[in-house]
Amino acid sequence: MRKLILRPILYPLATGWLVAVCAGCGDAREGATHDQHANGDTKTSAAIFGGDYPIKVTCTTGMVADLVRHVGGDQVDVTQLMREGVDPHLFQAEPADISALNRADAIFYSGLHLEGKLVDIFSGMRRKKPTSAVAERIDESRLLDVGAGLYDPHVWFDVELWSVCISAVSDTLSKFDPPHATDYQSRADLYRKELVALHEYCVSEMATIPEGQRVLVTAHDAFHYMGRAYGLDVKAIQGISTESEPGVKEINELVEFLTTNGIRAVFVESSVPDANMASLIEGCASRGHELERGGVLFSDAMGELGTPEGTYVGMVRHNVETIVQALR
Amino acid sequence: MTAQVGDRAPASETDLSGDSSPPVQPVLDVHDVTVAYHRKPVLWDIDLTIPTPRLVGIVGPNGAGKSTLIKAILGLVPIASGGVRIFGEELSRQRRLIGYVPQRESIDWDFPVSVLDVVLMGTYGELGWLRRPGRKQRAWAMQCLEKVGVADLARRQIGQLSGGQQQRVFLARALAQRAQIYFMDEPTAGVDAATEQVVFDLLRELRQAEKTVLVVHHDLRTVSRYFDDVVLLNMRLVASGPVEQVFTPQNLQKAYGGRLAILEDAGEALRVQERSA
Amino acid sequence: MINYNTMIVLVGASLLGASSGLVGAFAVLRRRALAGDALAHAALPGLCLAFLVLGERNLSAMLFGAFLTGLLGISVVSGLRHTTRIKEDAAIGIVLSVFYGAGIALSSFIQKQTAFGSKAGLHTYILGKTAGMILADVYLIGAASLFCLLLILVLYKEFKVVAFDSGFASVQGWPSVLIDLLLMAMIAVTVVIGLPAVGVVMMAALLIIPAASARFWTDRLGPMLGLSSLFGLTIGAVGTLMSASFSRLPAGPVIVMAGTIVFLVSLLAAPRRGIVARQLSARRERRQMALRATCRALYELLEAELPQVRPLEFDEILSHKSWQRQELAACLTQLEKEGVISRTAIGAFLLTEQGQKQVVETVRLRRLSELYQHQYGSFEGTLDELDAGTFIEELPRELVATLEEELKSSGRFPAAGAV
Repeated sequence: MRKLILRPILYPLATGWLVAVCAGCGDAREGATHDQHANGDTKTSAAIFGGDYPIKVTCTTGMVADLVRHVGGDQVDVTQLMREGVDPHLFQAEPADISALNRADAIFYSGLHLEGKLVDIFSGMRRKKPTSAVAERIDESRLLDVGAGLYDPHVWFDVELWSVCISAVSDTLSKFDPPHATDYQSRADLYRKELVALHEYCVSEMATIPEGQRVLVTAHDAFHYMGRAYGLDVKAIQGISTESEPGVKEINELVEFLTTNGIRAVFVESSVPDANMASLIEGCASRGHELERGGVLFSDAMGELGTPEGTYVGMVRHNVETIVQALR
Repeated sequence: MTAQVGDRAPASETDLSGDSSPPVQPVLDVHDVTVAYHRKPVLWDIDLTIPTPRLVGIVGPNGAGKSTLIKAILGLVPIASGGVRIFGEELSRQRRLIGYVPQRESIDWDFPVSVLDVVLMGTYGELGWLRRPGRKQRAWAMQCLEKVGVADLARRQIGQLSGGQQQRVFLARALAQRAQIYFMDEPTAGVDAATEQVVFDLLRELRQAEKTVLVVHHDLRTVSRYFDDVVLLNMRLVASGPVEQVFTPQNLQKAYGGRLAILEDAGEALRVQERSA
Repeated sequence: MINYNTMIVLVGASLLGASSGLVGAFAVLRRRALAGDALAHAALPGLCLAFLVLGERNLSAMLFGAFLTGLLGISVVSGLRHTTRIKEDAAIGIVLSVFYGAGIALSSFIQKQTAFGSKAGLHTYILGKTAGMILADVYLIGAASLFCLLLILVLYKEFKVVAFDSGFASVQGWPSVLIDLLLMAMIAVTVVIGLPAVGVVMMAALLIIPAASARFWTDRLGPMLGLSSLFGLTIGAVGTLMSASFSRLPAGPVIVMAGTIVFLVSLLAAPRRGIVARQLSARRERRQMALRATCRALYELLEAELPQVRPLEFDEILSHKSWQRQELAACLTQLEKEGVISRTAIGAFLLTEQGQKQVVETVRLRRLSELYQHQYGSFEGTLDELDAGTFIEELPRELVATLEEELKSSGRFPAAGAV
């Protein structure tokens, strides 16, 4: 008697549950590929903020966090997942990070696969709260294509390009928190002006580097946007992501390049170990070419919070000054 | 550690006889030795004295602790209580006087060493640290190989030998040690008749040269033929002493319990003994 | 002209390979190969701890830390084996995963929580950065290699006896445990020095592959050590040169792949111990046994009618014993080639004069061998010796004569037919 009742209920339930799970899995995968190209705001939660201020926002890199702090002002309380010196390409979320993401009312990240190991997490979060990939606001035509349908994610080195991301933040916050929309917009405009000035500073400073010295050699391929924006030829020892390892041929080619072009300095990065720098310097020395460490550049992370290099503007200025000083 | 590795034995270079002055202390003195393995008792309160050089056979049922006794005396397994004295001294001071033939199963036959290499290891004791075996040691090793009849196999890798040949090589190694006491663990197990003959001819020679040999033996039928003394072991010492006195039906019964097949063997053993008496 | 960087990596990788091959040979013979792998993995937390303690990336300090935790890991393996019921493979597995896990946890902690985390470059110790070798690295590798080489030369016989039969060594008075520990320390030094170059994951390969390959080519310890060293040196050099000649080939993994090729070649092609050689020799042995069996069959078929010798049909021979058609045909062809038999006009097989002698001898040895077995029990030679009965030649004259008498009296002693 019990069986007759249970069976028509249990089996459909079980099957239905299985189907739902599979659909959910499929969805997550789909979400991941959707992320890359389009505006990261598709399918994001359209909720309106209704809690206590300040709005809890969780960001990934320091650049994004700095951006959100500038636009959000007192209305937001920003939690930054990746501290100074952390490599976003290799960053894997620990339980503490997951809870920070869960607690947040809104999430902002860089996107374009910079936070390579967090993509799936973001697609999950997207359904529950506003989750925005700020760099994906930039039009694809302005991005650098690196093949296989992927784009170089290091867009913040082109100050003009990074300015575009301001609107990603202000639009999302305005939609999420309409009462303060005007505040967000005005702060955004202010910051945009600051960045315009910064951009001009970069252009003029970089222009002072003599023609023959306009080559930037760093540990990994993060500076192409900077090169394109400010007239530098960029060469890296490793590939786009810090996970790939150079072969002997790559080292030789670099030494050859540096020596024949008389490049005086190579730059180490705060978030990437200078594992291969020493071998470059020795290699050049063996050919009578003196190669120096040009200084530390901030690439995928900024400086310590509280220091000038802890803000986006300060970081960019530091990079520019370091480069110009070494190459001039 | 007062290792005797490196000291020169007082032996002459060309034969097996060593120092032949009569020993003041008993050759071997085992006092109250108890050994456990994983908390289970394997040997319990073993008291054994060998006063003068002789051939001693150690027999008992499987698992009686025969191998363990040898290993305990040689310091290869820890002794829970009791002590061992060799010529009145502790083991660590007498290592130069000891020769050892382990069980064949414990060896890695695939190891890339030749027959000669293995026998040369017997000379390592007298060489001490750092010195390499030279012409003298090589010549002596070849002599030992000849003694056991496998000199023509000197260059072969040990894995290519038959069981009997392997056993002889290890015997040769022990000979090369120029010891006063030899401990052998089942040297005739699983070997052919010819090898068994070689082994016991050798033992007789050692006996004549006033050496002591303790042999864990597996074949009851040959005890009285080969040994002066016998030790009957079954976790406890059942009996020990001259074969004629100790190798009796009562003692065998005590050692082997009610195991029929063994008793038949034992019975056979006694009949053989009576026949040869 | 090889350029500087290639030369640096070449020398460094070759030295590292040679040293790993040398030390690894002992590890493999001592059945400690996997312990070397455990050591490499156990070194990771040491690297991290040294970095945390010092607050900066000091290579020597980190390597020292790696050495300490590596040895600690190995000691734990030993301890587990001796004091509990856990066997060696489980103990190694436990230590390997626990220590490595701790290392990864520490490494993540360092990367995230500290301000200078990524500077440690800890992840480069996992996969290595062979191409980034500098002169200081080469000196370090050279010093470590020299140390290991000297130690092995000086304590050669001590390592040999302890590796082969540690029980005997102990009885002889050698401090087997200490010598074993010294061997492990050498392995630890080699592993730790190799970490910056090839990383944790591949260090085990460098220790094991050259030694395992060398074993196929020789049966003696000295040559095996030398060959293992040579193989290690070669794969280090080849890997480097390939990484220098082709784009996008990181040196570390290529070195390991070169090692794999060396191993495969050794496995297949080594004379006597290689697979191909073994197959060939087994096949040859089978063929010899089949030929002898054929000879005996020929004799047995004609035995009753001797001294008359008549031609034999194929099917007659086939039905005498139960063997394969093809195999019999092949044997008969071979015997014909050797001149033992000749074919008649109608395709039957006839024993030649030479053939008769040969067949008689084969049967004689065989029957003597069977009789000896029957009377004297155990036989200690190889199958080939038993089947051919060649050991009969080694027996004392009188014994052979006695056996022959017995055969004669039972009418089974073979004699050639008069033709």
